[in-house]
Amino acid sequence: MYKDVTITINGEEYQEHIPVRLLLVDFIRDVAGLTGTHVGCTYEGVCGACTIQIDSEAVKSCLMLAVQADGHEVATVEGLAQDGKLHPLQEEFNEHHALQCGYCTPGILMNAEEFLKENPDPSEDEIREALIGNLCRCTGYVNIVTAIKSAAEKMA
Amino acid sequence: MYPSVIDNYVRPKSVDEAIAAIVDGGEDAMFIAGGMSLMQAIKSRLVSPSCLVDLQDVSEIKGISSDDTGLRIGAMTRYREMANADKLRGAYGALVDAAAHVGDRQVRNRGTIGGSLCWNYIAACTPAACLGIGASVELVSRTGAKRTLVADDFLGSPLETAREDNEILVAVTLPTPEPNTGSAYKKWGLVADALPVVGVAVLVQTDAAGICLRARVAFSGLGDGPCRSAAAEQVLIGARADETSKIGEAFEAAAAELEVQADMWADEDYRRLLMRELGKEVTATAFNRAETGS
Ligand SMILES: Cc1cc2nc3c(=O)[nH]c(=O)nc-3n(C[C@H](O)[C@H](O)[C@H](O)COP(=O)(O)OP(=O)(O)OC[C@H]3O[C@@H](n4cnc5c(N)ncnc54)[C@H](O)[C@@H]3O)c2cc1C
Ligand code: FES
Ligand code: FES
Repeated sequence: MYKDVTITINGEEYQEHIPVRLLLVDFIRDVAGLTGTHVGCTYEGVCGACTIQIDSEAVKSCLMLAVQADGHEVATVEGLAQDGKLHPLQEEFNEHHALQCGYCTPGILMNAEEFLKENPDPSEDEIREALIGNLCRCTGYVNIVTAIKSAAEKMA
Repeated sequence: MYPSVIDNYVRPKSVDEAIAAIVDGGEDAMFIAGGMSLMQAIKSRLVSPSCLVDLQDVSEIKGISSDDTGLRIGAMTRYREMANADKLRGAYGALVDAAAHVGDRQVRNRGTIGGSLCWNYIAACTPAACLGIGASVELVSRTGAKRTLVADDFLGSPLETAREDNEILVAVTLPTPEPNTGSAYKKWGLVADALPVVGVAVLVQTDAAGICLRARVAFSGLGDGPCRSAAAEQVLIGARADETSKIGEAFEAAAAELEVQADMWADEDYRRLLMRELGKEVTATAFNRAETGS
């Protein structure tokens, strides 16, 4: 019923004794106390607000058990800024007003960060396709797409 | 949407260990692959496994390889890898089409071909694509015995397959393609890359002049589960890519032949329309791939 796990989040190791049924998103939020990762769709796996990276790949953390992440590296939005300096994606989201309530933002950032590594020079259509798994109820996506495009240019 | 109590979780490193673990885990033990269907089922308590046998470390069933008999796709190969697999282009392009548009990139980063086939969800893309391209599945049982089934025999009604309890699906196999073979898959859903209301997979093999010698036509999204249309396949044989009325006739035949359900997403007429329109488009792509090889 319980398992010992070692999960690294943003470079910090968490050794915990946790129930097998604990979802990874709840481990991140409640055990590690990193509440930047959100829950938007009561854990159904359709909104993408809980998107994090595991071993540098974007996944929805409500569709995983924490025990599945044992021995793996997790990255959350809290780890995006380095030494107090925002990631280019964060800067461009700010610059282009790519968020309103901000609920969807951490998940979109973690997805977009991996996407830009895979496709450093994406077209608008490719960016929109990459965002299929992330719902935003406020912005209408236009500014999000612009911000991602402009972060890609900045990072080139 | 929280899982009920799960007693145990294990992470075997080989197929043998995985089988031993599923047997040890008892009646309510289940394999977990990408978890993209199973986690939803666990959270909604459609299933309540007592033990989860996680296949993430079973490296012998990951990846796509080929030899002189054909291609082998390990059960733990993810959509992400299939969507980018040059080996599958052309003859088995239907699988690339299906994998590239499953859900979203986060789902494709985890979901596997083995999990999709074993779950056989009504609106799943990979089962129909596998049926369309004539794939087989390899299963290993608790005694270590291996059996191979063609997709037609493996896939049943939605959420049903010929897999026995404790049997593990290890690979999907495909014969070395004949020359001039192409396949394609396309779905229509309510939003971009959603679960299909209807999806169509078509494979054609032509002679050097582009005349169809062999055809396979399979659908996703139908109430009976992934199924082929013998009537459509019959009409396609002898057709050329530019004979659009004959190709149209094939999908008229499919829409007339197969049982079609009405539900909140589409009534019967609309589903039949989708079968006809998608069918024509997918067949054109399959012919094109048969001709160009990619
Ligand atoms: C948001 C979202 C959108 C989606 N959209 C689509 C879509 O558009 N099209 C589509 O086709 N699917 C879609 N899916 C479902 C997705 O394709 C699933 O990934 C897939 O159906 C299951 O594969 P998995 O590896 O995640 O398997 P899991 O969920 O881990 O397992 C599924 C079942 O198979 C069993 N199993 C897994 N591997 C094996 C094995 N090797 N041997 C024996 N049993 C095994 C498990 O015990 C379980 O019963 C979507 C899912 C989500 C969450
Ligand atoms: S909380 Fe909505 S996808 Fe995870
Ligand atoms: S900014 Fe409010 S949900 Fe996206």
